[in-house]
Amino acid sequence: MKRSRTASAQVLVLAAGLGLGATLASAQTPKSGGHLNVMLREDLAQGFAVHESSTISTSFPSLPCFNNLVFFDQLKRPETPDTLVGDLAEKWSWQDSYRNLVFFLRKNVKWHDGQPFTSKDVKHTFDMLREAPDAPAKLRINPRKDWYANVDAVEAPDPHTVVFRLKRPQPGLLNMLASGYTPIYAAHVNPATYRTSCIGTGPFKVKEWRKGEYVDYVKNPDYFVKGRPYLDSLRYVVIKERGTRIAAIQAGQLDISFPGETTKTAAEQLKKAVPQLVITPVAQAVSDNIIMNVKKPPFDNLKVRQAVSYAIDRRGLIQAVHQGGAVAGASMQPKPYGVWGLLEKDLAALPGYGKAEDMKARARKLLGESGVTPQNPLRVEMATRAIAIYVDMASFVINELKQVGIEASLKQVETAQWHAMATRGDYQIGANLTGLGVDEPDANYYENYACGSPRNYSQYCNEQVMKMIDQQSQELNPQKRLQMLTALQQKIEEDAARPILDWKLDYYTVWPHVKNLVPHDNIYNFGRMADVWRDK
Amino acid sequence: MKTYVAQRLGIGLLTLLGMSIVIFGMLRLAPGDIVDILFSTGGYVNPAERAAIERELGLDRPVWVQYVEWLRQIVTGDLGKSYRYDLPAWEIIRPLIPVTLELAVLSLVVSVLLGVPFGVISAVRQDTGLDYVLRVFSLAGLSMPSFWLGMVIILSLVAWLGWIPPVTYVSPTENFWLHAVQFALPSLAVGYRSSALIMRITRSSLLEVMREDYIRTARAKGQSGSVVIWRHALQNAILPVVTVIGIEFAFLIGGLVVTETVFNLPGLARFLVEAILWRDYPIVQNLVMFIAIVVILSNLVVDMLYGFLDPRVRYGN
Amino acid sequence: MATRPLGVEVAGVASALRPPGAGTMLARFCRKKPLGAIGGFLMVVIVLTALLANQLQTHDPIATAAAQSLARPGAEHWLGSDHLGRDIYSRIVHGARVSLIVGLASTLLGSVLGGFVGLLSGYIGGNTDLITQRVMDILQGLPLLVLALVMSAALGPSIPNVVVAISIPIIPRAARVIRSSVLSIREMQYVEAARALGLRHLRIAFRHILPNTIGPFIVLCTAQLGSAILVEAALSFLGLGVPEPYPSWGRMLSVSAAEYAQKAPWLVMFPGLAISLAVFGSNLLGDALRDTLDPRLRGA
Repeated sequence: MKRSRTASAQVLVLAAGLGLGATLASAQTPKSGGHLNVMLREDLAQGFAVHESSTISTSFPSLPCFNNLVFFDQLKRPETPDTLVGDLAEKWSWQDSYRNLVFFLRKNVKWHDGQPFTSKDVKHTFDMLREAPDAPAKLRINPRKDWYANVDAVEAPDPHTVVFRLKRPQPGLLNMLASGYTPIYAAHVNPATYRTSCIGTGPFKVKEWRKGEYVDYVKNPDYFVKGRPYLDSLRYVVIKERGTRIAAIQAGQLDISFPGETTKTAAEQLKKAVPQLVITPVAQAVSDNIIMNVKKPPFDNLKVRQAVSYAIDRRGLIQAVHQGGAVAGASMQPKPYGVWGLLEKDLAALPGYGKAEDMKARARKLLGESGVTPQNPLRVEMATRAIAIYVDMASFVINELKQVGIEASLKQVETAQWHAMATRGDYQIGANLTGLGVDEPDANYYENYACGSPRNYSQYCNEQVMKMIDQQSQELNPQKRLQMLTALQQKIEEDAARPILDWKLDYYTVWPHVKNLVPHDNIYNFGRMADVWRDK
Repeated sequence: MKTYVAQRLGIGLLTLLGMSIVIFGMLRLAPGDIVDILFSTGGYVNPAERAAIERELGLDRPVWVQYVEWLRQIVTGDLGKSYRYDLPAWEIIRPLIPVTLELAVLSLVVSVLLGVPFGVISAVRQDTGLDYVLRVFSLAGLSMPSFWLGMVIILSLVAWLGWIPPVTYVSPTENFWLHAVQFALPSLAVGYRSSALIMRITRSSLLEVMREDYIRTARAKGQSGSVVIWRHALQNAILPVVTVIGIEFAFLIGGLVVTETVFNLPGLARFLVEAILWRDYPIVQNLVMFIAIVVILSNLVVDMLYGFLDPRVRYGN
Repeated sequence: MATRPLGVEVAGVASALRPPGAGTMLARFCRKKPLGAIGGFLMVVIVLTALLANQLQTHDPIATAAAQSLARPGAEHWLGSDHLGRDIYSRIVHGARVSLIVGLASTLLGSVLGGFVGLLSGYIGGNTDLITQRVMDILQGLPLLVLALVMSAALGPSIPNVVVAISIPIIPRAARVIRSSVLSIREMQYVEAARALGLRHLRIAFRHILPNTIGPFIVLCTAQLGSAILVEAALSFLGLGVPEPYPSWGRMLSVSAAEYAQKAPWLVMFPGLAISLAVFGSNLLGDALRDTLDPRLRGA
């Protein structure tokens, strides 16, 4: 009895100590003022026109300029329904069994040019995105049109209310609105101007964009969150040379690294040189995957595709190509990084996750059944983008395939031709990377696996899978939805049209004087910089 | 003299015209254009949208029409709009010129400061140990890839000192010493390479001149060795050196491409590489023409200097 | 005072009159031009490495080995390994093959084409010469790397395309050298004599003038080889050169080398040294050859 009382007393003291420590840490009062230098690996691809591009090189440096309707809490790492907070929307609610989504917008919000923000801007943005017939403007390139295929109408009954009317229930829509890829454009501005400058409602205003060099931001004094942003200014510096980039953050010329840029080995190197650097391993929501053209031989044969999937030792790849800086998963980012991913026990049953030798034996058997033998190997051409991270992965895969009787030669394709080639199906097999703007199955499956979608590079079209995708999209109960998605992920991996190899990790690096910059398990959705402050 | 210059300028213009055709053609040979790249940043391809953008940028017109339009623009002083940035090309290029120009001039100065004295010493002490050492040192500079030299410099600095030169451009008015440091290293790297050729030419032309009769005469007359060298020999040996300096300038610009990239200097050369990768035709065409003009003009200046320094050369021959 | 028997004396004179054998010439060359000899030696080493790459390698140059990532130079990996566990030594050995092939092929292609143009242009003279010279000016007006860059982007990444891209800037430089050589030979007496005899122009050009341009041609080739190797390295570094999986010294220096250089400096040191030594050797040899073969060009 006495012992347990002492034990519980000890626990209490410990808890109190921890609690005090935590309070102390979070109670560090943010200081106003200061400047931070942020890393960019290349110049902005389409300026600040986030809706006309699909690359983090545009979205990350644009985040300080914009706001969304809703966003993921910038101070919390996970992106779940619980961490979804209002940005320009104060309150929202689903109506009519997830058929209508109503937003009540903040008042007294101003655009950077002084114009008031109203529901008209929201309607303008989404009518443009979904290419409504009466849309006031048109986007030159519209990569995420499919995200809004289910939106029937967007209404703005009064200046501070917006209603999304959907054709059928779709609880996932809210998540897609929270992505860094879904900022609100101003209605009074031609969307083309976002390619050169930025009129947003965000915590920082663009002061100058020196092409190829840097983007300078200054504090927005009229930001709708009082007391924010803390910082006076930001500079996003373009450094294309990887060695110079790493040297720059090591030497302190950059305070903040670019999401997805720091591999495990680079992080170890940085930590050794500058022990006080703060390095946080997070998931990126970027997967390595193999695309196979299912409309052309030999990969129209299911057994051959499955053999490819079996042949590639996932864990071996994670070690060899990423030095351990990646995790295994199926088509949704695995737990604990993602909400919908498969559990370890379900993964183990999928091709390529078991013991390497057994998996390769199964691959050889499958190939044997399709007429491929060591005497009669299968010769294919593997296409990949002419970038190091693609090529390294492709080289490993080619090595794996060699061991089961598939002789693949590597063909490097320049960026300018990659997507055209992939969309047209002008290839047999390819090594690919796919980034997901938000951990939302609708965004992933409609983009990458739906029949006829331009990003469905494998030309994969399966009636049953389409039905499953539509079903989970309308499922209102999260537990049931999770069950459906488990089955969907398993079926997709079995069909092996686009086997997922791994989900990459990022070792996000900042200097210790950078406070409140919390990386997420998704490279696209953090970096608004409103809550970030500089100590000393 | 005037006819000579006029003639040279005339020929230069014709050359530029030819060059414009070559560069125009080569760019359009390249697979993929700006529209492909724009779609690649979007991650998909859509034929209808593609056609619309081509119309917007004027890429759907026949090639010769685009060429004539480009020439017409240049003649009226309009350098066109960057496909990538949607802004006038001149506006984007203008701030880059002083950076590259400064780097090129500083590199040339370094190369002359290193090359000429080394060449003289090497010639005077021909075939001695010192000669060999200097020749090897100079040749080593010519043999090293300039980007490797730059990389090694930056990596060594960060590993040993935990410091690297500023990665954003610091103007001399902002902070003179930081600016000097920022430009000193890349100029040294590029200049070291360029000094090799200058050193060799200085050495060999000085050697040849020293064998000449009038030098021997001067020596026989009793003039002291160094006077002979500096007054007579060097004066006459300088001519081919000047020629080579002119040639080096063009050679230098190639070296600037990688140096600007590694040291992250916002110059023309680095921008040119980017523009080539993006198939930003207006920028590439105009930048390359600009480089060609600079090279042609520098050749003309060198030739005129040559004639000025050596009255034996007749123009218009 | 013993007199030598007459037979020996005659033999001595006869041996003095006989043209020196190859071995003697080589020995003389090494003595007179020690730097050139070093250059020649380096080139021989590199050529042998390229030819015997498969025998000299210790590992498969493209095989990855996760456990060996960034291994230090030692017994297992003589020059260390890269982030994918690939053996640096074996990659450098095979890189010699790539760099040499690309360098030689582009140099020869450019020099032969350019030499041909220079030969004809110089011999025919007149307006043909004038126009050709302007065209050559056009190609030469651009710095080597810039032209190669645009060509490479235009043609796409593959070894034949890189060879073509690098050879094009060499053409005008070769044409210029051969042309000036031709111009000086053209006026010589034996050519005039041949013409007086009524020999066809083409025959004169190829049989009499061409052989005498060999000297400057060789000098030109060795001079350009170094540049070609450097340009290939720069192109590969910028991502526009020789594509994977062929190991290229230049590409070994891009991306991952600089990223991991502080943990594994051998990633940056050895490929750079390899390039430097190859170019250094070629330059030394070229200089010595030029001094020996054509003293007139010593000042050029």
